Order: sequence, then C-alpha cells, then structure tokens
Amino acid sequence: MNKLLISPSPHIHTRTSTASLMRDVVIALLPTVIVSILFHGWSEIIVLGVSILSCVLLEYLITRFLLKKPSTICDWSAVVTGVLLALNLPATSPLWMVIIGAIVAIGVAKMTFGGLGQNLFNPALVGRVFLLISFPVAMTNWAPVKGFIPGVDASTGSTLLGMVKEGGIEALEGTSYLNLLFLNIGGSAGELSAIAILAGFIYLLARKVIRPHITLSIWLTVFVFSGIMWLIDPSQYTDPVFNLLTGGLLLGSVFMATDYVTSPMSAKGGIIFGVGIGLITMLIRYFGAYPEGMSFAILIMNATVPLINKFCKSKKFGR
Amino acid sequence: MKKTFSIGGVHPNDSKISSGCRIEVLPVPGTVYVSMLQHLGAMANPVVAVGDKVKVGQVIGEPSGFISAFVHSPVSGTVKSIGPRKDLAGWNITHVEIEVEGDEWAEGIDLSDTLVTEIPQDTKAILDKIKLNGVVGLGGATFPAHVKLCPPPGKKAECLILNGAECEPYLTSDNRIMIERSKEIVVGAAIMKYVLGGCPAVIGIEENKPEAIAAMKAAVAELQANAKGYDGISVMVLKKKYPQGGEKQLIDAVMHRQVKSMGLPIDVGAVVQNVATSLAVYEAVQKNKPLITNTLTVTGDCLPMERQHNYLFRIGTPLSFIIDQMGGIPEAAVKVVSGGPMMGKAIVNLDATTVKGSSSLLFLTAAQTVRKEQGNCIRCGKCAEACPMGLEPFLLNKLAKNRMMDELEENAVHDCIECGCCLYTCPANIPLLDVIRIAKGDVIKIIRGRQAAARAAAEAAKAAEAAKAAEPAKVAEPAKK
Repeated sequence: MNKLLISPSPHIHTRTSTASLMRDVVIALLPTVIVSILFHGWSEIIVLGVSILSCVLLEYLITRFLLKKPSTICDWSAVVTGVLLALNLPATSPLWMVIIGAIVAIGVAKMTFGGLGQNLFNPALVGRVFLLISFPVAMTNWAPVKGFIPGVDASTGSTLLGMVKEGGIEALEGTSYLNLLFLNIGGSAGELSAIAILAGFIYLLARKVIRPHITLSIWLTVFVFSGIMWLIDPSQYTDPVFNLLTGGLLLGSVFMATDYVTSPMSAKGGIIFGVGIGLITMLIRYFGAYPEGMSFAILIMNATVPLINKFCKSKKFGR
Repeated sequence: MKKTFSIGGVHPNDSKISSGCRIEVLPVPGTVYVSMLQHLGAMANPVVAVGDKVKVGQVIGEPSGFISAFVHSPVSGTVKSIGPRKDLAGWNITHVEIEVEGDEWAEGIDLSDTLVTEIPQDTKAILDKIKLNGVVGLGGATFPAHVKLCPPPGKKAECLILNGAECEPYLTSDNRIMIERSKEIVVGAAIMKYVLGGCPAVIGIEENKPEAIAAMKAAVAELQANAKGYDGISVMVLKKKYPQGGEKQLIDAVMHRQVKSMGLPIDVGAVVQNVATSLAVYEAVQKNKPLITNTLTVTGDCLPMERQHNYLFRIGTPLSFIIDQMGGIPEAAVKVVSGGPMMGKAIVNLDATTVKGSSSLLFLTAAQTVRKEQGNCIRCGKCAEACPMGLEPFLLNKLAKNRMMDELEENAVHDCIECGCCLYTCPANIPLLDVIRIAKGDVIKIIRGRQAAARAAAEAAKAAEAAKAAEPAKVAEPAKK
C-alpha cells in the first residue's frame, strides 16, 4: 500500500442500495406473477415480457439519446414499473396497447420529470389510467384465456366490482371469501390472489424495504368506512371484507401506494396519505361512475405528497 | 425490555473481532512526540526547553485557558525539539520530541497494583488532582474532565452516567478495560459521584458485551459489600444500536430526558463520562498518576486473528511504531482510521503520534470503504428514519446545495451530531453528511455572529443610556459657574 485513502466519516456503508431495494420489490412481486401466469397462461407471459422489455428499453433509449446521461436501467426501477404495469392490465391486452402504456409510464410519467426519484405520480399507474380512459373496452375485456391449470378458466367476463356496479349487490350471490382470498375470479392479472400479494407484503416488511404505515392505514380506512356504510344499509353497500379483498386494493396498497418516490417521507405523512387513498377509493366504489377507484385514489393522493411532506415534519430531538 | 434512545439509529454489523484479545503492554519507542493539543480547547504551553531531562509523569505543557489541560511526559529522557509537527489529519501542532532514556518515573506516583478503595473526602483536592494530572474525556471529544465535574452555579447533577456503550463497530478497548480493570473504573465512578454531590451513577453498557457487563456488575457488588461510598452505583444493560454512545442519546436512553438544542447535559441534570475517563480519574486521584497511557484497539477484517490487538500504549508513541509492532499494514487495507468506522478520522499521515484520545487503528479494505457512485435520491426517507436527532438529511442536503441558510437553521442543521447514520444508510450513496457538516459549520457561525451582534447592541444601548444619564449633569455644570 503506497497511498492512503482519505475521506470524511462515516467510513462504512450499508449493503442496501437502490438496486437491491428495487430487486426486493421484484422478488416480492414474484408470487403474484407466478399465480397470474398459472391462470392466464401464455398470454400473460407475453404481456409481462412486452411490458418489462418496453419499459427497460425506453428508459435506456431516453437516458442515452435524449438526456445524454449514463443509463439508469441497472437500478431495476424500470423493471418494477414494467411488472406493475403488466399486472394492472387484462391478460387479453393487445400488444400495441401494452407498448403505449409503457411509453406513457416511462416516457411521460417518469423521464419527463427527470427520471427515478423526480416523478410526482406513480409511473405504472399513470400508464394504466391513461389506457383505461383511452381504451375502456380493451381494458375491461376479461374474456377467458387459456391457463396452465387444466379445467380452470380464470375469467368470467366481468369483475366482482363491475358486477356490483351493474347489477347491485344481489349479483354477488354465492361468492365465498375463501375464494376471494386464494383466487379472485376476473380482473387484472395482479388481482387474482390475495394470498400471493400478502406474501409479497410480508417479504417487503421483513426485508425492511417498506414500512407498514401506508398499507395498514389504507386497509383500516377501507374497513372502517365500508363497515359503517354496510351497517347502515347492507342491501345497498358491499361489506368491508369484500372491499378489502376485491379489485386492485391489495396490489395497490402493497406495491403502488408504498412507492418511495411518490409517497410521503414520514410515518405520520404516510398515515394521512393512506387514509386519503382509502377514503377516495371507497367513495369511487360506492358513488362513482367507475367500479374500481384504487388507481385514481393513489394518483390523486400522489399530488398531495409535497404538501404532506411540508407539514409532517419528524419530531426533532430535544425540541 | 432493554433501554435505548428514542429516535432513529442504525444497526451496522458490530464486528468486535478483537473483543477477546487481552490488553498487552506496548513497548516504549525510542522517541516520542507529545502533542500540545490533545484536548478540546486552547493548546497547552510547553514548559520544558530543548536539552531538558524529563521523567515519566513530569509536566511538560501547562493549560493556556479555562478550557485546556496539562500535558505530561509519557517517558523519561531528553527533550530533543519543540516545534510544529503534522498530526494525523495533517495539521501543524506544537509537539515536544523526547528521546527515551530508561524508565524513570517522577516522584509521588504510586506504581503498585494495590486497589485503593477509600474515597478522599475533599472535593477541591480531588478536582485539583484530576486537573493537574491532565485527565480529559476519553470518549472522543477529549473535553477537560474537571470542567465537566464542576457544574455551573444553579445547576445540579442528578445522575452521573458512565459511558460503556462503545457503540462504534470494531472498537474493543472500552470492553477490555471494563473486563480487566472493572474495579478501578467503579472506584473512579464513586470518586466522580462524590464530587458531584452524591448523585446516583449508572454505568451504561450495550448488550453485545456480556463479559464486560458481568465483570462490572461483580465489581460494583464487591465494592458495595466491602467499602463505603459505593451506594447508588448500578450497571444498566442497553440495546445494541448506533449511536448509543452519543452523549445526548445515552442520556435519553438512561434518564429518558432530552437535552435541548444547543443545550448541555447538565441542563437536564446529567454528567456523562466515558469508562476510560473513569479509569484515568482513578489513577489520577488514588495513584497520583497523570494521564500518560491509554488503551488502543488494532483491528480490521483484513487482519488475521493473531494480529488483532488491544494495546496499552504510552501517549506520544508514533502511529508508525505501533504499525511496526503489529507487523505492518495489511496488504488488503486501503484506509487507516483513527477511531471507529462511523465517526473516526481517516489518517493522512502515519508518522503522526498518538494522543490522549487515540482509541484505535482500524484497517479497512477497498470493498468496505470506497464510496460508490451516487445516484438519484429515491425519496425513501431512510435517512430521516435513521437520524437520531430527528432531522431530515434529504431536505438539509437540498437546502445546503442551494445555500438557503435561514431554512437550514429552521430545520435545525446545527443539531446534527455528525454520527454518520444518514450517509451510512442512504441507498443512493448520496454524501449527505459531507454536505450537512459544512452547512452546519456555516449556520453555527451565523448564529454566533448574531448572538455577538445582539450582545454588542445591548452594550451599546447600555452605554448610550449611561451617557444620557450623565448628560444633564454636564449641562448643569456651566450653569454653576
């Protein structure tokens, strides 16, 4: 050793990096991905593949040729966006639609703001909502696709929430919660199995990737709000457990509302953020035009994050 | 449930590799270089001349202010030179160079191993001994010990906390002295407790040092059974969490009281001293031995077990001598740190000398210590979660880059204790503390400047008032004529 390395303290660093955190999110998504592939078969594999590939490639091309900066694809964040976008689409989605979703997610929602860490809104959700508004028919086409498990057709043509919106609460006759917990018929790829999503949630908590505040406050708000409404009039309003287990609530509350970049920094802010998402979701489900409101709720609350950060300061030592 | 501080903190791997290595006495080198600035405050004035013969323990530097300390010769021999020499960070500091001849100690120093348990009952004499023997805080800040033990008028110590947390990874010297010299440390604690008016004393130790906890508990029990003045001393086991040994954090953990921003521990009734300081107090008061030795850990993952050491060294021993003794710098090391990996200083100059506060030579490899390229902030909030002062490092970083001084002060940048948790924990490798440290210095300067200006304005107003009061008399004077 001829030369000594000199730098200010601290001299050691945690092993956790942006890439390792994002990789953990991908690992946490694996159970959900596997379940959706099992039930939607090749069409799901293709949607996932196209979505991930176009997200990563787009980010590479934009950083390399438009921003002329070192490429950031090694941080895995584009992969996360790609997987989440795919899980938010029907397995029947035409490929051009998936690519447009990726362009909106990465190109518009993420890179225009300056890339990872700079965007106000969750990229995958912006992509999904853009598609939902632009191509409502294709986005709600739950036509049966062939899965890898013989004898099980994953889709029945309409989601449970959609059935309630159209036919009222009687439409739910005969669905059991056990079914919902393990396998929810109909809906986006990522809405199939509550258990798979919960496994991911536990993994993220165990690896200390996320804190539970946001997710739990969403669940609690949805449970309490729909509980009150259900007690008032059970013939008109769906019950709390049904609301927790259906639609995009679990996927959104575990994987999208907890996105670092677009959620508040402090625990206190996270609770306010979660309560807001829960309320808006339930308002849309009960009184809105759409059967499901999770995506809109998260995007609306994303917009309030700078304000929440400003007012939710951490408690300082000795002050 | 074990206690710990209430906000933030991180859990780096504690890597106490050398915790089982007994303290070895390091040989005395041929030449020592004794720094005149081994303490917080004003540099000591050398009181020997070139050519003087000195004995071990003889005063060679005298304090030059209220916050300053005596410096003693760690060896016997001849003064060769007095002048500037570079310290481990590369600053020029006055050093006294002494060529070693024999090992002749100054008179009045008790060199026996006999444990003296009887506590002298004269506060002034105790404080004088602590001061005259050059005892400073050995937990890192090297603040003169006697100053901390004299609370300002109106303030009363309610608890003496002995800091045995040793929360920095790798360091094991405090652990070893707590195991090997536990009784002396407890006597030191009893002395300080007596000086402070008999308040209870708590020895805080992190749970990862079971041997030290057992030894200290046994020492306390034995002394309480056999001698007077040891009531109210207890050992408290603390959870393992960095920076437990930070003064404010330790007070929070032990007493559940938070020192106010810009305040002092005594404001909440606490006095904190390191266990090594307690040992130095014992030696100064009971043995009349000045602070000329300390314990230092030589460690690092790149050193095999047989090259891990805890050395009892003479203060003033050059670092290069210690490195020679331990068999040279390991091949894999790229950085040598004095102190722990979280708050220690990277050594610029291996010819520098050890000082009273030297606690370790830590060898780090490139994989451990070379900083990775920084990425974008992903707004994960991990830095704010880790900050033990409850600050928002991501925000301070942004404010500092834009030089927004008012906002920096509003967001309490001056409360930063520079523990390094934010930089340690940042997944995007953003050099948060580097930026915050500079901003903190600037903001403290602004605050001090404002305070000075306010004082000057108050004095000017007073003077103007006095002049006004005097004026009618002046006007009246000619009338008298």
